[in-house]
Amino acid sequence: MALIELEKICKTYRSGNLHVPALVDLDLQVDTGEFTALAGPSGSGKTTALNLIGCIDQPTSGRLRIDGRNVADQTVPQLSDFRLYQIGFIFQSYNLIPVLTAEENAEFVLMLQGMRPEERQQRVRPLLERLGLGGLENRRPSDLSGGQQQRVAVARAMAARPKVILADEPTANLDSSTARELLELMRELNRDEGMTFLFSSHDPLVLEHAGRVVRLQDGHLVGDERKDG
Amino acid sequence: MILWKLAFRNLRRNRRRTLLTLAAMVASSSLLILSLGVFSGMFVDMLASVTEQYSGHMVVAGKGYLDRREMHATMDQAQAVTEQASRLETFRGASPRLRSFGLLSLGDRTQPAEVLGIDPTREIQVTQLHRKLVDGRYLDPDEDHGIVLGVGLARKLRAEIGSELVFVTQAADGSIGNDLMTVRGLFDTGSVANDNGLALVPLHWLQETIALPDQLHEVAITLKDPLQAKPTAAVLAGRLDDRLEVRDWGQMLPEMAEVIASYGASTLILSMILYAAAGLGIVNTLYMSVMERTQEFGVLLAMGLHPAQVRRLVLLESTVLGVLAMVLGATLGFFLTLWMKTVGIDLSGSISSITYAGGTILPRLHAEFEFRNFWLPSLLLLVTAVLAGWLPARRAARLQPVEALRED
Ligand SMILES: Nc1ncnc2c1ncn2[C@@H]1O[C@H](COP(=O)(O)OP(=O)(O)OP(=O)(O)O)[C@@H](O)[C@H]1O
Ligand SMILES: [Mg+2]
Repeated sequence: MALIELEKICKTYRSGNLHVPALVDLDLQVDTGEFTALAGPSGSGKTTALNLIGCIDQPTSGRLRIDGRNVADQTVPQLSDFRLYQIGFIFQSYNLIPVLTAEENAEFVLMLQGMRPEERQQRVRPLLERLGLGGLENRRPSDLSGGQQQRVAVARAMAARPKVILADEPTANLDSSTARELLELMRELNRDEGMTFLFSSHDPLVLEHAGRVVRLQDGHLVGDERKDG
Repeated sequence: MILWKLAFRNLRRNRRRTLLTLAAMVASSSLLILSLGVFSGMFVDMLASVTEQYSGHMVVAGKGYLDRREMHATMDQAQAVTEQASRLETFRGASPRLRSFGLLSLGDRTQPAEVLGIDPTREIQVTQLHRKLVDGRYLDPDEDHGIVLGVGLARKLRAEIGSELVFVTQAADGSIGNDLMTVRGLFDTGSVANDNGLALVPLHWLQETIALPDQLHEVAITLKDPLQAKPTAAVLAGRLDDRLEVRDWGQMLPEMAEVIASYGASTLILSMILYAAAGLGIVNTLYMSVMERTQEFGVLLAMGLHPAQVRRLVLLESTVLGVLAMVLGATLGFFLTLWMKTVGIDLSGSISSITYAGGTILPRLHAEFEFRNFWLPSLLLLVTAVLAGWLPARRAARLQPVEALRED
């Protein structure tokens, strides 16, 4: 059984009496441990797909199952808990809580889960080290560079060891060498920890690193290639 | 726990805005506390104008005397009454008195007056007239023909210290009682009724003059806590023989009792008006800060924060603001009240004293401490802050994560 299953998913936005079909009959399966990129030009539906999978938006029709559970059957608090325990988010920008330090941001999900401080630190400190953030634990996001902020976001998403990490254009605001570093890091974590990554990008650099590239165009699935290794 | 941390740090984020809101809240609550203190001071003055200058907090008299003040309705249980009264918990002093209404004359001037026969050493435990002297001295314990009277009365008679007044009245045996009195002192209380119509004379002299030897009309009693007068009066009545009755100041001055009682309602209304403004300020602050953080709430919701927790976060922020304002406001209010109690503002240059509901409001701003003047405004302020947080909190909790994230 696949970790994520999309079955004939449609998402239509209504603005006024204008109907914008963002996703049309999308069928997609993602297995545990994949490092998959959603590719496609601007407006092709990448963000929409990630939002649906992340349970922060609802499809207009179709069926979405994650870890065997039908998302449409969940109540609002259940969905919150589901996001808290099973999903890690990395957004393009504005990821971090400005009033919390880098370490507190990285610990945030664990705090919400109610983990004890020592345990949290044991979990987060090595992660920050590994992400090259050692020594920056007490800085506020405003005192970190864009690349450092994104790495804190990666640490936060990973700290809780969710089933899947969803990253919407995580490198869009980074210069290419920082972007490459971040990608290699995520790839490493994917290999070492077996964590599933699903991210969106139209950046060729990102697609290079992906183990599988799913191509979208105007809300339709137009390609699905797997690389070996 | 994490919500507390977020709430505190969010309040510090826009420090100036938080401080401004806080200042508005602190100002309204401390000023409210001050004005309630001034009201209390006014009531204390009003009550004191009667109780400390004339009646005491409770009066014991023979049944019927207090309603008609009929000369013959006397009592002679001074000893028993004083003894029982002194056993009361808040007892401060008791003074036996005899009263006569008659005419005081000097030369060709004559004025009606209420002449109160007192024992000076006992009377000073009940009334404060000996502290209100503007000329001469109070009655001596062994005084024989002395009289102390109000400045208004003296002015009308053109009397001064040492003047010889003639007192004429009807005695209990039907004869005309009269005698010569020497003016010893003049008091000025600010209360028109006392200053223009009251005179103090030695008790035994009056008993002889109106032919009521060893008789009294009343025993006036003061307590340490005037607000305990009502229950204390009931206790005392139960311990005295049933030819006597006891009245507290509330019964003697029903109008004033009513004014003081209705003050509770006025306090509440005044507080609510003041806080409506402060409340709108808080609503505005929190709305602004919620709107600014829309995207942040989107991230929080996406991370798995429940909508209910988002609501709690915003409510926590308004509550923290409320508690802070409450503590600071009560502290500032305390010092303002203290200042107004010890220093005060003298208004006698611009207005004169006002008689209202049987008491006298002195021409001064002066505050008194009362516990309720603090807890009521403080509690209301906190309630206002929490209520003001409600709308912004609800808005934040209803945000859809996707839409919030898209906000710019
Ligand atoms: N809230 C919305 N209301 C109306 N239309 C929307 C809304 N959100 C997205 N769309 C439309 O849906 C389509 C898919 O948008 P989506 O954001 O998923 O694309 P994307 O692949 O992420 O694009 P980009 O690379 O620019 O981020 C686009 O045509 C977009 O204009
Ligand atoms: Mg997008």
